This record gives sequence, structure tokens and C-alpha cells, in this order.
Amino acid sequence: MKFSQALMAIAAATAMQVAVAEPAHATGKIKCEAGPQSGWVSREKLEAELKAKGWKIKKSKVDGGCYEVYGTTPEGDRVEAYFHPVTMEKLLVSRRGKVIFRKKG
Amino acid sequence: MIRRIANNLHIMHNLYFFWALLAIPAVFMILRYLGDPETAFDLIHPSGELSVRLMIIAMMVSPLRQLFGRRGWTDWLLKRRRAMGVAAFGYALLHLVFYLIDMAVWEQIVKDAMIFSIWTGYIAFAIFAVMALTSNDSAMRMLRANWKRLQRFVYAAAILTALHWVYVDGEWRGALIHFIPLAALEIARVAHIFTKRSRSAAQAEAVT
Ligand code: HEM
Repeated sequence: MKFSQALMAIAAATAMQVAVAEPAHATGKIKCEAGPQSGWVSREKLEAELKAKGWKIKKSKVDGGCYEVYGTTPEGDRVEAYFHPVTMEKLLVSRRGKVIFRKKG
Repeated sequence: MIRRIANNLHIMHNLYFFWALLAIPAVFMILRYLGDPETAFDLIHPSGELSVRLMIIAMMVSPLRQLFGRRGWTDWLLKRRRAMGVAAFGYALLHLVFYLIDMAVWEQIVKDAMIFSIWTGYIAFAIFAVMALTSNDSAMRMLRANWKRLQRFVYAAAILTALHWVYVDGEWRGALIHFIPLAALEIARVAHIFTKRSRSAAQAEAVT
């Protein structure tokens, strides 16, 4: 019994450690160092640009300093895509966790 | 006799109350969807997460009983295990339905199903479905010893769900936080069995 209680204490401590170690939204998939938000293009502008290219957009948000967009590509694929918030360059596209495009470098 | 019936009614009452309690989040999710069908996308996450939570709590009952024995609270949990297991399936079903509504296009659903993070979800769901459909007294009687064997598939479902979560998110922290308590209990259970065994072996040696 003592051993199992010790194990549970360790488990609880580990869980708390994991919970506090990382801010909730940084997923670690990709990071953009794009300076202060005042220099970013707006999310509306990015969305409008993508829609003009044939994307359908479900939702967009800031993640890891990048813009993250959930939607459908012009080819019809349901994806999650990351864009640079200043240059609007496409950085990473994944489908259900599987990476299908990553910008070189 | 009357007392027994009263007691039974009381327990029944409580269990029904518990089932109703488990159904409340579903009511809110469905209302939210009906209010705005676009929210199907946003409801995939909470329904999946609640399903996993219920599955994990239901799975923790057995190691807790082995480690802490029959107590008031382990009895309480055991009585509600079936409800939690069936509710875990219910929320997985809701999760799937919201997913299908959100996807809308057959070719895309099929294309998704080829991806590791999604087919692990489908297999876990299939296991849950079989378990939920056999979670009643008549199925238990019919299957006899096989029923217990069938229930063990929950471990496969749990592993598949963990993989589904980690791979669909591309991120392991959320899943880890949820599965640590169960994993710790399972390790403690195995350790408990081992220490008990070596202790009784030592006693056996001391006697001879
Ligand atoms: C039936 C087949 C399944 C499909 C097609 C499916 C689909 C999905 C999708 C698309 C997501 C990502 C949601 C998002 O990005 O917001 C997801 C997440 C998730 N699913 Fe499933 N799922 C299935 C089965 C299951 C089952 C059986 C469970 C639990 C027992 C489950 C639990 C979860 C959890 C916990 C998440 C993570 C929530 C999050 O952090 O976003 N799924 N699922």
C-alpha cells in the first residue's frame, strides 16, 4: 500500500509538472518569431486572401506565434494550416496530425 | 421485506439519478449544435474528451478495488462503473456524429479513415460499441466467462484512444495528463500483486 501511494504521489506531481510547464496554447508543432502583434497582418486579411484562392475556412486562431487555420484547401482536403503572421507565407499543413506540407528550412 | 424494497428503490433511484447526471453534458452539446450547426466542429473536442475521461474513471475502479479493497467509496464507484462505461460509449458516438456532420463529404471521410490518427479512433469506437451493447445482465448471462474476456478489450481500446489523441493533436501532453492516473494505478496493481506473492512465498518457506 505504501508503495502504491508513493507511486500515485509521483504521478500527481508529474501531471502537475506537465500541466504548468507549458502554456496551454503552444502546441510545439511550429513556432513563429514574428515580432509584436502590431506588425502582423490581420487574421481577417489572411482569411480573405485564402478564400480568394479557393480555401474554405472553419476557424482561425493564433498558435505558437503563427496563424493557425482549420479549413478545406482548394483541392478539397480538410486540413490544419499554419501561416506566418507577417508574410502570410504557408509554413505547415497537416491532415489529422499527419504533416502533408512543410516549408523548407 | 418492505425495507429491502425500500432500499432497492433507493439504490435504483440513485443510479437513475447518476445516469441522468451523465446525460446532462450531452443535452448541452446537442442544444448547442441545434442552435448553430457550425458548432459541430467545436463539439468534436469536448465530446471526445468527456468520453475518454469516463472511460478512464471506469477503468480505474478495478485497480482501486484491488489496492484499497471493499470500502464505501470503492463500492460506490463499482456500482456506477457500468453507467460510466456506457456513457463513455455514448459520448464517443456523439463525438463521431459531430465529426461526420463536420466533415460532410464522403470522399474526405474515407480519406481521413486511412490516416493512423483516425483509424485508431474507429477501432477504439468499435470495441466500445461491442462492450456497450453487451453491458446488460442478459448479455452477461449469455456470454458467461466470455463476458469477462470481452471486457478485457477495453485495454486495447484505451491504448488505441491514447494513440488517436496524441496523433490527431500532434501533441502528447493532454493525453499524458489524462492517462497518468490510470497507468499509475495499473503499475501499482501489478506491484501489489507481486509483493503479495513474494510475501506469501516467504511465509510458505518459513512454515516448511
Ligand atoms: C469513431 C471514430 C473517431 C473519429 C472519426 C474521431 C475523430 C476525431 C477528430 C477529427 C479529432 C480532432 C478534433 C479536433 O481537432 O478538434 C478527435 C479528437 C479526439 N478524439 Fe476522436 N474520433 C473517433 C473516436 C474516438 C473515441 C472512441 C474516443 C474516446 C474514447 C475519442 C476521443 C478523442 C479525444 C480525447 C480527442 C482529443 C480532443 C482534442 O484535444 O482535440 N475519439 N477525434
